[in-house]
Amino acid sequence: MSGTLIDFCKQLEPTQLKLPSALLQAATDGVEFQHHFPTTRDESWKYTRLGRVASLSVSAIRFNQTAQPLASSEYIDIIFDNERWHCSEPIEGLHIAFAGSLDSTEWNACTLEGHVQHINALTAQGGVSIRVDDHVSLSKPIRIIHRIQDENKALILHHQLIMGRNSTAQLEVIFEGKSDGTYANVLFDFFIGPGSKLHTDMLQQATGVHYGFHTHRIYQQKDSTFALQTITSNTHFTRNDVEVFSQEEGTHTQLYGAFIGTENNHIDNHTYVHHSAPNCTSDENYKGVLSNKATGVFNGKVKVYQDAQKINAYQSNKNILLSDLATINAKPELEIYADDVKCSHGSTTGQLDQQALFFLRARGISETKATDMLIKGFMAEIVGAVKSSHIQEALQALLD
Amino acid sequence: MLDRIDKHMLKITDLHASINGTEILKGLSLEINAGEVHAIMGPNGAGKSTLASVLAGKEDYEVTSGTITFEDQDLLDLSIEERAREGLFLAFQYPVEIPGVSNVNFLKTAINEIREHKGLPALSAKDFLSLVKEKSALVDLDASLASRAVNEGFSGGEKKRNEIFQMAMLEPKLAVLDETDSGLDIDALRIVAGGVNALKSKENATLVITHYQRLLDYIIPDFVHVLYDGKIVKTGGKELALELEEKGYDWIKSAE
Repeated sequence: MSGTLIDFCKQLEPTQLKLPSALLQAATDGVEFQHHFPTTRDESWKYTRLGRVASLSVSAIRFNQTAQPLASSEYIDIIFDNERWHCSEPIEGLHIAFAGSLDSTEWNACTLEGHVQHINALTAQGGVSIRVDDHVSLSKPIRIIHRIQDENKALILHHQLIMGRNSTAQLEVIFEGKSDGTYANVLFDFFIGPGSKLHTDMLQQATGVHYGFHTHRIYQQKDSTFALQTITSNTHFTRNDVEVFSQEEGTHTQLYGAFIGTENNHIDNHTYVHHSAPNCTSDENYKGVLSNKATGVFNGKVKVYQDAQKINAYQSNKNILLSDLATINAKPELEIYADDVKCSHGSTTGQLDQQALFFLRARGISETKATDMLIKGFMAEIVGAVKSSHIQEALQALLD
Repeated sequence: MLDRIDKHMLKITDLHASINGTEILKGLSLEINAGEVHAIMGPNGAGKSTLASVLAGKEDYEVTSGTITFEDQDLLDLSIEERAREGLFLAFQYPVEIPGVSNVNFLKTAINEIREHKGLPALSAKDFLSLVKEKSALVDLDASLASRAVNEGFSGGEKKRNEIFQMAMLEPKLAVLDETDSGLDIDALRIVAGGVNALKSKENATLVITHYQRLLDYIIPDFVHVLYDGKIVKTGGKELALELEEKGYDWIKSAE
């Protein structure tokens, strides 16, 4: 095994962010204690090898505190493009600040776990803090674009989005870039206030030899709704961790995902939903299509705590393997300590439906087109859940 | 020069076909001309559905000997989709459900692939929709079904009507109806048969594969063939179907 975690952090710049000192200490201790990157003996990295990541030689992308202005458009845009960040003028009820300008009391995050989050805490160079006031329905969607232009760069960001009471917002998060030997570690914390609704569509399509680590932590208060659609396509290496904390009654959570891998892509989706309050629902639906030598991982975990009665939690993962060499490792997990809940989970993996393929061809449709149609049909539920027309079109184009 | 009347649309000669090493068709011969309706009847296991599958090009079946010519082409040389584009249509015994793929979208793709094959321009959205309207009325298919996912949540009768709707949209030269009557009540049967009859012309032909005579009350065949143990053992007019219904397939078996 190559570099240690400490070596990896040392080649990057120390963080520009002023996290609470307890968090920084926890990250420092974590890195020192763990010393090395996790191996496949570690349960949460069982199917994802980090050797290549540990030996990456990267330098951090740093940012100025002040944003470059952007012309007004149909979005509130926030763009991280190489060493610059750009931001649209905020609108009523919305406040956007550079993460580096926050003082330690303005961070809502209260825990850090695992090496990805520890590296982030010690080396993050920026990010945004977005606040949505109470009783606001944002008139435009917020769009955050991340772009790495140069080779051997590391993009390490910590974002937070805090929604007040009874507000609604829509967010798009995009990752793109074509450079080799790049690393991204983007931690995004969401705090959804009582009665608020946030819909997030995310598109991960950085090509090149790129190692992307995306951590999403969602804290939901009473009667809030959170939906996340994660679309990952043709990325060399992607690890998504989505952790939801349903903390109060009446929350609804929707986690949908589509992952499309080819060549020797590796796409790993880990989700963890904590139901610690009663009368909540969660709906999880991840679909994967893998060709060539691509590998995929789906590990979805739902935990229903003892007092969390009347929970409806659904989890489904379906995969299609288009080649003999493509691999999927699927692990749906359910842990229930309450006795009055409705939970289901399931995972299926197979090839394209040969009967359906024959049927379409028997109507005059070529084998290639029929295959495309079936894959599109398979992904239709996910495409339908995406609200962003830009991401929906991108996904359609990927499936064409 | 060949007389057009004598030119067969479909000519099957001494066809042998097997699945997983078991021979099902054992020397089947059949000729169909434009404008004709042929019915193939036979007991379970005689090879009726195998014949339909082999004609459509299903890859599970292996043709071990014999020839099939369709419109002067070697049918066995053509891929599944090429056969369809040349004008062969199979109405499935068990229509497949395809979640997420809309009936209308799939038909639009199919029609345009067939048109491209014929060197015709793609159909405009407007022309396509008026065609959908016209043809779905033919089989009394609710317009909402046309826009839903292929056969998803359709009743048995709706699935069969959807098959005939597709046939109407694609306007094949030769339609092979594989046990289209199975699982249909009398009203659905009447609608399905009505659709088939309305599509009949001098230029096209129909091959009706059925277990029961019932369907032939509605689709009147010019020829009835009895398929038994992989071969056609008897051919006659429409009255042969009635005779079979009356005497049962044992009559054929004992005549063997």
